[in-house]
Amino acid sequence: MKTILFTLALFALPLHADEASAILARVDAARNPLPSFSVDVELTSTSATSTESSKFHVYGKGSDRSIVEFIAPATEKGKYLLMLRDAMWIYMPSASRPIRISPLQRLMGQASNGDVARTNFAIDYNPTSVASEGNTWVLDLVAKDPSIAYARVRLWVDKTTSEPSRADFYVVSGKLIKRAHYYDQGRRVEIEDLLRPGNKTQMKYANLAARQNPEKMFTKDSLGKW
Amino acid sequence: MASNDVITLDGVNKSYKLGRIRVPALENVTLTIARGEFIAIAGPSGSGKTTLLNLIGCVDKPDAGRIVIDDVDVTPIPLHRLAALRLNTLGFIFQTFNLIPVLSAYENVEYPLLLQNVSRRERDARVRHWLGEVGLSEQLKQRPDQLSGGQRQRVAIARAMVTEPKLVLADEPTANLDSDTATHILDLLAEINARTGCTFVFSTHDASLIARAQTVIRIKDGRVDDILAARAA
Amino acid sequence: MLIKLALRNVLRNGRRSSITLVVIVFGAVALILFGGYKARTFWGLRESTIRGRIGHLQIFKKGASKAEAHKPLEYALDDATSIRKQVERDPRVKMTAAQITLMGLVSNGEKSETFIATAVEPAKDREMNNQKITAGSDLPDNEPDAILIGRGLAQSMHVKPGDYLTLMTTTVAGSLNAMDVRIAGVFTIGIKDYDDRAVKMPIAGAQTLLQTKTVEKLLVFLNNTEDTEAVHNAFLAHLSGVEIKEWSELAPFYHQVVGLYNGIFGFLGIVVFAIVVFSVANTILMSVLERTREIGTLMAMGTTRGRLRAMFVAEGVSIGIIGGVLGLAIGGGLAFLINHGNVMLPPPPGYTTGYRLQIMMQPAVLLTAFLVSFVTATISSIVPAMKASRLKIVDALGHI
Repeated sequence: MKTILFTLALFALPLHADEASAILARVDAARNPLPSFSVDVELTSTSATSTESSKFHVYGKGSDRSIVEFIAPATEKGKYLLMLRDAMWIYMPSASRPIRISPLQRLMGQASNGDVARTNFAIDYNPTSVASEGNTWVLDLVAKDPSIAYARVRLWVDKTTSEPSRADFYVVSGKLIKRAHYYDQGRRVEIEDLLRPGNKTQMKYANLAARQNPEKMFTKDSLGKW
Repeated sequence: MASNDVITLDGVNKSYKLGRIRVPALENVTLTIARGEFIAIAGPSGSGKTTLLNLIGCVDKPDAGRIVIDDVDVTPIPLHRLAALRLNTLGFIFQTFNLIPVLSAYENVEYPLLLQNVSRRERDARVRHWLGEVGLSEQLKQRPDQLSGGQRQRVAIARAMVTEPKLVLADEPTANLDSDTATHILDLLAEINARTGCTFVFSTHDASLIARAQTVIRIKDGRVDDILAARAA
Repeated sequence: MLIKLALRNVLRNGRRSSITLVVIVFGAVALILFGGYKARTFWGLRESTIRGRIGHLQIFKKGASKAEAHKPLEYALDDATSIRKQVERDPRVKMTAAQITLMGLVSNGEKSETFIATAVEPAKDREMNNQKITAGSDLPDNEPDAILIGRGLAQSMHVKPGDYLTLMTTTVAGSLNAMDVRIAGVFTIGIKDYDDRAVKMPIAGAQTLLQTKTVEKLLVFLNNTEDTEAVHNAFLAHLSGVEIKEWSELAPFYHQVVGLYNGIFGFLGIVVFAIVVFSVANTILMSVLERTREIGTLMAMGTTRGRLRAMFVAEGVSIGIIGGVLGLAIGGGLAFLINHGNVMLPPPPGYTTGYRLQIMMQPAVLLTAFLVSFVTATISSIVPAMKASRLKIVDALGHI
């Protein structure tokens, strides 16, 4: 009996790995349907004491290049953020050249939520296990590279739509830092800061459209010039 | 071979500037003084006798004319270059004694020998000799403020003689002394002149000094009035 | 004779010479006390900076100083242990300490602040003794997640010893990491700006947080600061793949203080010098005026102008030497008294506690004080001496 179960288990594993990768691939396809696109983002940040709202245009190409154009509030208008795979730059109209943001600086403020929002599950993570909970797959993901922001993610995926419903983000030490809830086929994302309970950020996506974004747009020297 | 005259003045003129006015002190003075003489320059104050003595003493320069001291024409030589001549050839005695107050009698007399770089032994011998000559062997260590007027003048005389000069100039040497002391000083000076053959030139209005002089040069208003040989040489 | 004359003339007018001597002595004493205070300050600041914070030498991985590190510990010492062994063989070395500096965010659950942490070996850090523990205790030897927190930071995070905080930073690879830490103690180093941001943590904890086994640098402490350059050269010959910095390159504040104090004391020195010059020149000038007739007599007798100048300069030199020696004695005596007294000074800029006034007596300072007195007095006598030698004999003789 034990031998049979053992042999079955041996067959089961590879099957699960394939399935998990497939699920992940579908997740990313659902989240990033267009290879070159633009989208409007409205971000609301809530804490125990205050609420703040901002608006952006985001231009993306592939899964690893995007530019965030600040639209509102008025104080932020005119700024641009260039997010590449392993570097982030900010351009402000008052400065003559764009400023590189170090990984450490990305810990602070909304840049950290940016990291969460654009997480590329299929490209950056390897699934280690899949479980089933009702209509949801629960995947455990491990970062492929030690330079990836969050070392581990636990992802809940809707079986029918392949849209993620929730993601828990863990750092190297195993501490749970952020939790994201996905609604409306990904049109609304709510991120909780678990180190500061009560602090939430909500991002609403609208007007997702295909757009021809040329490669050279995603260089730091073109920031602010197009 | 040295000439017979130790001093020669030829057409010497000297005037001073007093504010904007030029005051003539000596006009066209021509005279010679032979070696070994004991001469008085007599005249009222302001007559120019001090000026004449200053010119002879090479501490002042004439405006015109020629001066020869001990066969040296000092006319073209600037005053500060005549220091050696003054040191070696001349001796000075002042009305106000002019001793150096921080030095003892011995050291005052020694001073010119130090300027001449004389050896210590030689210096000591000469200083003691001359202080002995002026009668101050007991007062070697005294400072001027511990000596009487007469004693100070004696120190001055020893100082003037210690370099064995050819010519000693004395401006009113007895004016600050009482008559007794003055007489003793005069005796001393005459005796030294007789013994050493050193020429002595005084400026004075002391009648007794004038009486003791061999020759008297009378000056008035800057001109030599009269050169009188008071007694035979 | 020149010396005899000079000394006797100095003593001639006792009162005037005394006043001049007082001025010279004042100048010398000022130089000795100020110079000694400055020397002590420099020495104290230097030693406390070295022994408490930067060490005599710091050893880095080659290339650390020139590169722009985008990630922490991009240039790190990976063979610190072997380097240490080599270094500690030199008898001039007292001890070594490994360190990592890192920054990140610290959070108490409600808010985050930036922190700058020095990760240390707890036993070595205790020997360096740079901070004052105001609450709790020092870093324990075997608890990698216990930290010390600066006083200002403790206040803004509302924590006391025994409470917990979370430190967040990026690992050497670039991913995020967070660690819960226990507050072992609260400290201050006397500088507010530092206390508002500072954290001290065990190097083992930092290595876990940064996900590395390397260290950023090795601090080397010597027995004598004077050995620094020689030891530096010795290390350069024996160690490879490293770059070494001397304490002098790592102590900008010390150099700023040195520059500032030297500027101030230089200015004071000039003022003192000017006062002494005028006083001595005045004294000798008055002496010349009083002795006009005497000068005339000397010149009439055949004293050359040069000799006359030498006479007066000799007086200046005499006053200078007497004043210099007296100044040394009095200055030295005062310094001794001060050092045994208990004069307290206010805190220097940036610090929060005062300290006891001490005068360091270095041969250089004493020699300078003497030389300045001597040279100043000599120089001051030159103009009066020139004046004396240019007197006209006739006028001088006729002077009252």
